[in-house]
Amino acid sequence: RDKAATGKSASVAGVAADDTSYEWKLVTTWPKNFPGLGSAAENLSRMVDEMSNGRLKIKVYGGGEIVPALGVFDAVSQGVADAGHGAAYYWKGKVPSSVFFTAVPFGLNAQEMYGWLHYGGGLELYEEAYAPFNLVPMAGGSTGVQMGGWFNKEINSIDDLRGLKMRIPGMAGEVFTAAGGTSVTLPGSELYTSLQTGVIDALEWVGPYNDRILGFHEVARYYYYPGWHEPGSILEFIINKDSMAELPADLQAIVRQAARASSQDMLDEYTARNNEALRELIEEHDVQLRRFPDDVLRALWQGTRQALDDLVARDPMSAKVYASYSEFYKGVRNYHHISEQAYINLRDVVLGDEDY
Amino acid sequence: MSAEFLPLFLFLAVCALLMLGYPVAFTLAGTALAFAAGGILAGVFDAGFLSALPGRVFGTMNNTTLIAVPLFILMGTILEKSRIAEELLGSMARVFSGVRGGLGISVVIVGMFLAASTGIVGATVVTMGLLSLPSMLRAGYSPALATGTICATGTLGQIIPPSIALVLLGDILANAYQQAQLQMNVFSPKTVSVGDLFVGALIPGLLLVGMYILYLTVYTRLKPQAAPPVDQGTVSLGELMRGLLPPLLLIFLVLGSILVGAATPTEAAGFGAVGALALALARRQMSVQRLREAVIDTLGVTCMVFMILIGAAVFSLVFRGFGGEELIHGYFQNMPGGAMGATLVVMLVIFLLGFILDFIEITFVVVPIVGPVLLAMGLDPIWLGIMIALNLQTSFLTPPFGFALFYLRGVAPEEVPTSAIYRGVIPFIIIQLLLIVALWFWPEMATWLPEQFKQ
Amino acid sequence: MILCHSTNKKDLLTMTLLHSLVNYIDTFTDRSGRLLAWLALAMALLTTVIVVMRYGFNTGSIFAQELVTYMHASLFMLGAAYALKTGAHVRVDIFYRGFGERGRAWVNALGGVVFLIPLCLFIVGVSWNYVAESWHMREVSTEQGGIQAVFLLKTLIPVMAINLLLQGLAETLRSALVLVNDAP
Ligand code: NA
Ligand code: NA
Repeated sequence: RDKAATGKSASVAGVAADDTSYEWKLVTTWPKNFPGLGSAAENLSRMVDEMSNGRLKIKVYGGGEIVPALGVFDAVSQGVADAGHGAAYYWKGKVPSSVFFTAVPFGLNAQEMYGWLHYGGGLELYEEAYAPFNLVPMAGGSTGVQMGGWFNKEINSIDDLRGLKMRIPGMAGEVFTAAGGTSVTLPGSELYTSLQTGVIDALEWVGPYNDRILGFHEVARYYYYPGWHEPGSILEFIINKDSMAELPADLQAIVRQAARASSQDMLDEYTARNNEALRELIEEHDVQLRRFPDDVLRALWQGTRQALDDLVARDPMSAKVYASYSEFYKGVRNYHHISEQAYINLRDVVLGDEDY
Repeated sequence: MSAEFLPLFLFLAVCALLMLGYPVAFTLAGTALAFAAGGILAGVFDAGFLSALPGRVFGTMNNTTLIAVPLFILMGTILEKSRIAEELLGSMARVFSGVRGGLGISVVIVGMFLAASTGIVGATVVTMGLLSLPSMLRAGYSPALATGTICATGTLGQIIPPSIALVLLGDILANAYQQAQLQMNVFSPKTVSVGDLFVGALIPGLLLVGMYILYLTVYTRLKPQAAPPVDQGTVSLGELMRGLLPPLLLIFLVLGSILVGAATPTEAAGFGAVGALALALARRQMSVQRLREAVIDTLGVTCMVFMILIGAAVFSLVFRGFGGEELIHGYFQNMPGGAMGATLVVMLVIFLLGFILDFIEITFVVVPIVGPVLLAMGLDPIWLGIMIALNLQTSFLTPPFGFALFYLRGVAPEEVPTSAIYRGVIPFIIIQLLLIVALWFWPEMATWLPEQFKQ
Repeated sequence: MILCHSTNKKDLLTMTLLHSLVNYIDTFTDRSGRLLAWLALAMALLTTVIVVMRYGFNTGSIFAQELVTYMHASLFMLGAAYALKTGAHVRVDIFYRGFGERGRAWVNALGGVVFLIPLCLFIVGVSWNYVAESWHMREVSTEQGGIQAVFLLKTLIPVMAINLLLQGLAETLRSALVLVNDAP
């Protein structure tokens, strides 16, 4: 596809590299230049251009420009575009196991997800799940722990979820419905007004950095944490297998390394921007920060257990992925008790209110 | 001649071929396909763009916002077939029976209510066309005045909140604004939201309604024969209430449920249609035959609207495939005259694109390209959003390609000549332009109210 | 061109066959369209039920929400041919109005051959793989309680095009027959 045959065949015998140039289309599920989530695709494009000295150009198209946001998977799978950027759990109607490659409630956090994918066998399973669709998946960024969402009612007990109408997609939506709530499906463009007018009582989006841009603080009273449902959402790059195979080995390596780098870059950006955004939301917009009560979270975990069991029972591939995920979870949780978790706790104990 | 200008030729070819009179949807798509085929043979078009079409069509099928289209049309056809709309307008006209052009004024007011409940130009124009055009013609209004009033009123949905158009635009502008500020190294950027746009649109929107009414009042004073008074004498309060109350209740039910948050615009459209049916049944003005006519009309108009959407999707894919986007982008970057010069050109281009692309396509395709560029020059995002909305509203009204005109043509009776529609909208276009000019010199008309709300 | 205007027996037979083909397609489109139209009312009723259930009984059904989408898509995809037959697709008719019967027949015959028929064939071709993939994986809703038949929804795309192609052929033939019959 799109192979601009500008190569003047300067390849030296025995050296794989030539100067044939390639042009790729990359479609995303985000609007063009979307802050945070949209940065990974732009970074990939820029890095690949720099690293390949312009031999591979990747043109980024926002959601709706060539195909609709949720048409990204089909488009890359069928070669309409060479690459895509989005989130795996959007495709759970095609690949039920895909929820594990983005986020499952009470699952791994960003650091742990990267560990599982790159050193715990996760990526191999990811590739296996996508192979029938002619796709090569790669991690494409992470938001870190998300926020629990914007609420117009206070959640003090599990009873407060009863009848609560919330926009919360994916497996978390199932869990929320099982807990007595009503999960409502709404397109992104209707979120603000629906919350404003009360069509929904609550919604979850991403975290302070993204949420502030959409202005949800203007139409919601409480901002809940933690994001039990998306503890470390991983975004994804998907590459059409044929497009990848067309590239010489060095360009393939460049694509992989640039994806890895831009993936990490997104987490870095969120780490830097979220705290400033939250400070502004609280200090300048009087946002009321609330924590979900423990018994509510426990009830939501019970629902998650149920949803996981259901998924594993009906889809063999999900069972296989779950086995790996669960194994890794156990190990990393044990070690993080005495490493990350222990350290973050001790920081509060020792420093208290004192500034570093 | 280089392939660089092919998108421009495509645009011009479509404009010319539309004049032949073959259905708009198929001419848009067919011309674009022919260009694409030629481009593929000449090796200057990437066929991959065309293969994106099924995904685009499926996106349209899955778009829950657009479900409001057939539902609002059904409400309109039921109100029309059961003669309730006629009676509502009649009752409204009686309220204004002392005023010349009273029926026209009541159309603007009824239209304003409808506009508030949907932001979809097609649905509002069609509904208003079905609802009020027969009544106005029967009352002896000149076809030009009647159709002009209806087209203009029908496009109000763009600007009067809650408007789907403003929601989409707000979404995109928020991102563009963020992007612009990051480019300027502002890392704690200010935000703009859909709510800001809603509040910002209130004054210009209501001003527009006021100016329409003022125009009708002045025009009918100068040319009384164009709008004979609907002379039904005065009516008792009870009689008036009987005619007026149930339909008004329906409108308040639809609008109110959106405003208080009982329902999304789509859901409100749904029970608006059911409410209209219940009302017609209660008044014994509905029969199976009338209902059949209503649903069949709904089918035709709905398919017309969506086929244009699909035709426009084919066109925009080919336009993009030929590099139309780069052409536009390159043009903006070499723009003399600073922010205002650039804005002027952007507005002109958006106006022209409004002839062939619908609001959603322009919002998603053009605004993300030009938005960050303009906002980085220091423009106010609310002002820019309202300007774009008003501009597109004017574009949809402007002959010979305005979408509103196509939609009204689709439902207007044969004996109304197209030239009458074109003549009729001209004064309203002038009103629109006056407001745009006013907004250009006094941006506070859009930005003042949101400021007050923020304090 | 098969439609020359000599009047020998063989041509007459062809004409009659073409006429009945046009009639056959017309009848099919007409019946299906009239049936399909009731979907609009069904959508409105179901939407109302959804709102009432949400406020009256605090329950939401994703299945019902998606059913409205399926009905909506069926309505405008399958109804496109009916709309073509009844002339509901709008035209820029500044000149078209003044063309007279022959002129209009020319526009419609040429438009059919140059715009509509290629468009329909193109949509069938371009959507084939897209739909086949969806059938192959038996694509279902992303929502747990949703309708498990996304592959059927996607199938509407080629079905719409075939439907429209049939009626497009009928309209083109009808116009061509006008041109042949009224030949000077
Ligand atoms: Na989220
Ligand atoms: Na509106």
